[in-house]
This record gives sequence, C-alpha cells and structure tokens, in this order.
Amino acid sequence: MIAPALRVAVIGIGNVFLGDDGFGPLAVETFRCRFECEHTVEIHDLGTPGLDLAPYLYGQDLVLLVDTVQAEGTPGTLSYYCEDDFVSRSARLRVTGHDPGLWEALAHLRLAGQSPSELIIIGVIPESCGFGEGVGAVLLDRASIAADNIANLLVQRGVSCRRRSIPIPQHLWWLPLPEAASLATS
Amino acid sequence: MARVSIDPVTRIEGHLRIDVEVDGGTVQKAWASCTMWRGLEKILRGRDAREGWVFAQRFCGVCTTVHAVASVRAVEDALSLEIPPNAQYIRNLILICHALHDHIVHFYHLSALDWIDVTTIPSADPARAASIAEGSSTWQGNSRRELQAVQDKVKGLIASGQLGILSHGYWGHPAMHLSPELNLIFFSHYLQALEFQRKSCQVVAILGGKTPHIQNLAVGGVMNAINLNSLATMNMDRLGMLQSLLQDLIPFVQQVFLVDACLLAASYPEWFHYGRGVANYLAVPDLPLDAKATKFDLPGGVIMNGDLGSVVPIKDWQDKAFRASVTEDSTRAWYQGGGPLQPWKGESTPDYTDFKEDAKYTWVKAPRYNGLPMQVGPLANILVGYASGHALTHKWTNTAFQTISSVHGLNVSTNDMQSTMGRYLARAIRSAMLSDLALEHLQLLTTNILNGDDTTYNPPQFPAGEVTGMGMHEAPRGGLSHWVVIEKGVFTNYQAVVPTTWNASPRDEKGIPGPYETSLIGNPVSDPVKPLEVLRTVHSFDPCMACSCHTLDAGGEEIAQVKVL
Repeated sequence: MIAPALRVAVIGIGNVFLGDDGFGPLAVETFRCRFECEHTVEIHDLGTPGLDLAPYLYGQDLVLLVDTVQAEGTPGTLSYYCEDDFVSRSARLRVTGHDPGLWEALAHLRLAGQSPSELIIIGVIPESCGFGEGVGAVLLDRASIAADNIANLLVQRGVSCRRRSIPIPQHLWWLPLPEAASLATS
Repeated sequence: MARVSIDPVTRIEGHLRIDVEVDGGTVQKAWASCTMWRGLEKILRGRDAREGWVFAQRFCGVCTTVHAVASVRAVEDALSLEIPPNAQYIRNLILICHALHDHIVHFYHLSALDWIDVTTIPSADPARAASIAEGSSTWQGNSRRELQAVQDKVKGLIASGQLGILSHGYWGHPAMHLSPELNLIFFSHYLQALEFQRKSCQVVAILGGKTPHIQNLAVGGVMNAINLNSLATMNMDRLGMLQSLLQDLIPFVQQVFLVDACLLAASYPEWFHYGRGVANYLAVPDLPLDAKATKFDLPGGVIMNGDLGSVVPIKDWQDKAFRASVTEDSTRAWYQGGGPLQPWKGESTPDYTDFKEDAKYTWVKAPRYNGLPMQVGPLANILVGYASGHALTHKWTNTAFQTISSVHGLNVSTNDMQSTMGRYLARAIRSAMLSDLALEHLQLLTTNILNGDDTTYNPPQFPAGEVTGMGMHEAPRGGLSHWVVIEKGVFTNYQAVVPTTWNASPRDEKGIPGPYETSLIGNPVSDPVKPLEVLRTVHSFDPCMACSCHTLDAGGEEIAQVKVL
C-alpha cells in the first residue's frame, strides 16, 4: 500500500520592500523556479500576514517556513529551528519581527487540534532591512542554498521533489526598487 | 492623576501606541500614535499605472486585496474605463470574502479576550453551556460533547502553565463579568473560527488565483478566463465549489458570530454608554452592480453629529462633494509641511521628532472631511445604510436588536450603537449582510455567464497628458480611497487615504483630535496598571497600522509595556 502523500506548505515570510526582510519571498520563489514537487506541496509567498498565517498552517503535515531571524551572528547565517525551539516557555528565541503572528497562530491551531505535524523554520540573519532596498548581496547568495535545503528536507521526508532540467525564470516583480536615498528626500 | 502609556497595543495588526491621562477612574485626555512610517506611496511614483495594484497590495500584510482593488479603481477612474459586469461580480466576491475573513478574525482572535476570561472555563458546566448555546442558535457545533472537549483543552493548558500564549489576557480583571458557561461558549467558537477563516481564504484563492496576494486583477477588469466548456477556466464546477464553500461559511457568520456579538452586547450593556467619540460618519458606496458603476449594493453617505436625519448620500464614485471635501493635514504628524492638502497634491516627506504631545507625535496624518474629523468602519457603514432606508441593513440590524432584546430585554437603538459596543455589533451585522450579498453576487455572476457573457476585461489606453483618478472601497475597517496622478501611463503622484488614518487621526492644525482619541474621553479605567477598558475601546475600531514594520530588537518581548507615570 502506498502511503498517502503528505500535505506540505513551503512558506516565505517577509516584506519585499524592506531590504533583507524580503529573503523569505525570494527563497521560496527561487525554490519554485528550480524544483518541481508533487501537487500536494503548496508554495506561498505570504508577505507579512500576522495572525492571517493560520489558514496556511491549518491541518498541514509538514510546513517549511523561511523567514529572517534576529539573533547574534554573521549576516547570512542560515539556521534551522523546530517548533519547540520558540514555542515552549523555556526557550525564549524570538524568530523575527513577524513572529507574534506565528506564535499566536500556532497556539490557536494547537488548541483546535489543527497545528502542523512538523514545522521547520529556515531562518537567516539579515544585514540591513532599510526601507526601499532590495535583498542585499550577502543574502541574495544564500537564497540558492536555502532553496536546495528546502528540497533536501522534503526528500528526506519522502516528499517527491526534483530539480528542474530547465529552471523557470524567477518573477521578482518588486525589483528594481527606487533608490532608498531618493525615497527619503523626494 | 495617572498617565498611562500602552506601547505597543497588542492584538492589532501593526504598531500603535496609546497614551491616556486618567483621573477619578476615567480618561481625561488621549493621544494615538502610530510608531512606524508607511512610506510605500513613494515606491509607486514612476511605476507603470497598470502594475500599481501589485505593489499596493503589499501596503499591508493583512489588507492585501483591499488596496489592490482600490488601486485599479483609481486608474480606471482616471481613464473613465468601464468594467465588464463579470469583473465587477468577481471583484465583489473577493472583497466580500476578504471582509468576512477579516471580521471573524477581529471578533474572535483579536478582541474576544478583552471580554472573556479563559481562566473561569474550568468551572463551567458544559451541559448548561450547551443548553444556553443551543437555545440561542441553530448552529450544529454547540453540543455538550464539543464544549466538554474545549473545556478539557483549557484545563490542560492551565495545568501546564502555558496560558500565556493566549495574548496575555487580563485574567481575573474586575471588568470581566461573563459567566463561566458563556466564556466556554465563546472560546469554543474562538477555536472553530479558524476553520471558517480558512474557508473564506479558499473562496478568494479560487477567484484570485492565490491568497493572500491575488493575481487575477488588471486595470480594466479581471484576468479570469470564463469558458463553460473548459476545465482550466471559470466553469460550472468552479462556480459550484464557490457555492458549497459559501454554504459552509455563512451559517457560522449568521448563526454563530452574529449571535455571539448579540450575547456579548446583552452581557455588557454598559459599553453602549462609552466610546462614542467623533459622531461624524463616512461610508463609501461599494459592490457595484453594472459596468459604469451607477448602482451599488452597499450605500455610501455622510452623517454629521450623530444625527441620522442629516444623512447626505454619496451616490457613486464620481461624487463631486467627496472629491472636494477630503484633505490630509500633517501639522501633528511626522511629515514636513502642516495644513490640509488635497490628496492629489499630497506630500509625505518624513520629519521625525520623537513623541511630542504638544507638537508632532505620530506617523498618521489627519484626514478631514470639510475640515472635520470623521469616523469610518462597519458602524459608519451600518448607520449610513440604516439612515438611507437600505433594506438589507434594516433586516440584519433589526434581527440583532431583536436577538439582544429577547435575551435580557435590553432595547438597543441606533443612538446606542454609537459606542464601543456598537462598533463590535456593527461588524457582526455587516458580516451577516455580506453573507447574503456573497450568495447574491455569485448568482449574478452565474446568471450572466449562462446568458453567454464571457467578457472580463476592457483594455486600458493611456493619454499622453496628465490625468487624475480616485478609487474607493468600503474596506473591512472603513472607507478607503486611493488618489493617483498619471502621465504617459506612469504614476507621478500616489496617495492612499486609509480607514485607520481616518480613525487613528491625530489632532489637526486646529487642535481637534481624531476618533480614537475622542472615543477614549470618559472611558473607565479601574486599574491603571491593567488598562483593559482602554483596550476594549481601541480594539472596537479594529486598528490596522499597515504591517510593514520590522524593527523589533532580538530580545524584544512582544508583551505590551504599560507604563504608569
């Protein structure tokens, strides 16, 4: 008997107008263009949804969530966290400025019995989150690594995911942004 | 006298700081300050006007479709472009379902914990709770077993010491006085609401291609292909899926959300006496029914000084009075310049000074209508509809009034509605109305398609000279307008006058405060260290401060700082 396919969501969180904060959307777009998955894998750029994150986590078997993390370390460092790393009371790790939504959405879903069976957060330390900047050079380079790691994590869990022989062109509609300097003065 | 500063206010979208001066247990003065800069309009200058909506829907992480639609409507207005009826209906359905989602999340997840004390739930009698719930609603999910299961979960949560995940509620506060049974019922619906939040997202996803950022919009209509004989387009299967999702969603709105709002109102009648604030109301017409947008399912209008007899309709989006009356003032906001400017001439050059209560203290400008502050939102929507004799508004407002009266014999009038509790109730009434309208607009779409109309788009043509346009939407939080100036197909100015700007407005050049600030005067505060009553009134507006902030520090606790000075 073949096990039913896992319901999977690959989610990028972040504000594409705030420099490195746009890493999540960039990483999932990179993943979508380079890899092909079975149809039970949803890929979402959710922007900055706050509590509206809940419907996308609801009842999933596996969620991979890419976001920026405010932690000590070199900008561009990629780290992996599981749900307990930041939900439990003892571990006070705060994942990004968006995590109030994540924290509460998970708490609600746990109580309703609909939280994801497994949640992995792929966090990156940002260099600069200035208004009107694109993702900076250091993190731009990490998006490919994050995309490869998403694929590895999926394959390890038995989700069918393979590299496209010809990648789809990326749709980074928000680039180029106007110069940050001219935004402040214009 | 105590000075209380709540920074940030929790359980809202974005960052808001509220300062109040409390004397003799009531608020004497109040200041609302938005602590982040929303400079996104600048990103739109120089962009292709056909693509503005893609950027506008990132103005806020929550109110995505709202800004997308206002943006295309502004450009279409500048070009006097008609929109095929199919496109109007599809946009309307998206807007309705987005609003239902938003209103459900606000009532349960963003504000219920101001009124329900979760810590009393273990002492509730589930059988009695089930009998109360089943006595007031035909909803299927109120069985004793269901409620017992929720009670067990809460007991487990309390035993594990993890109650803190529930938004730092003011448990045991003297202003909380629901019975344990009602707390259990509300909390059970709080958890069930998650499923319906998801269903309304699914409707938006089917029509918009994706959520939360829809992909089907275009200046001139929508990009949904309609072909009843094709599997890949809008066909009878898709229309049937929409119908079935709506049939799941609507009973939750009309038999749970509305009933809960009525029970809450009947249990806290004193809150019809607080929070009136600015009693000038503005609602804009929405849910257009024809290509030229001459007829609407939601009426617009202006009410001054709380007098429903004074209602002046805003008949359509061309309304000259509306265009001439809206200004924004930055005397007390962190922008250069000061006095009122018409939005097409609006400027947003930052001039940050720190919080100075006698000078500049917020990133929100002060919008004015003929020089006066206005309250926008579901309450304005309901009052304008009621005053204009709008049948659907009367139907659901009267249903709510009768339900409240049947519970505790409390008679609520449209005058009582102008209050903190009135704003909660109005949001539920509006949701019940929107549920009826969702089915109506799906039917309109289906009939139009079956009649052989598959048009969804009229291509735009941009003149070489300068054109100006304005797009309106009666959004979940109230009247929204985008004001654009276009030259050779490119934006040369872009200003969004958003609902929260109307309501969170600071004082203006004449020193007149905005709706949040005015509504807090006279608000009770029994314990300045736990200003729960202030939160009730602030949350009643459903603040959304445009979620573009990313400035929390690594150790930053999200728990609000309440400082008493």
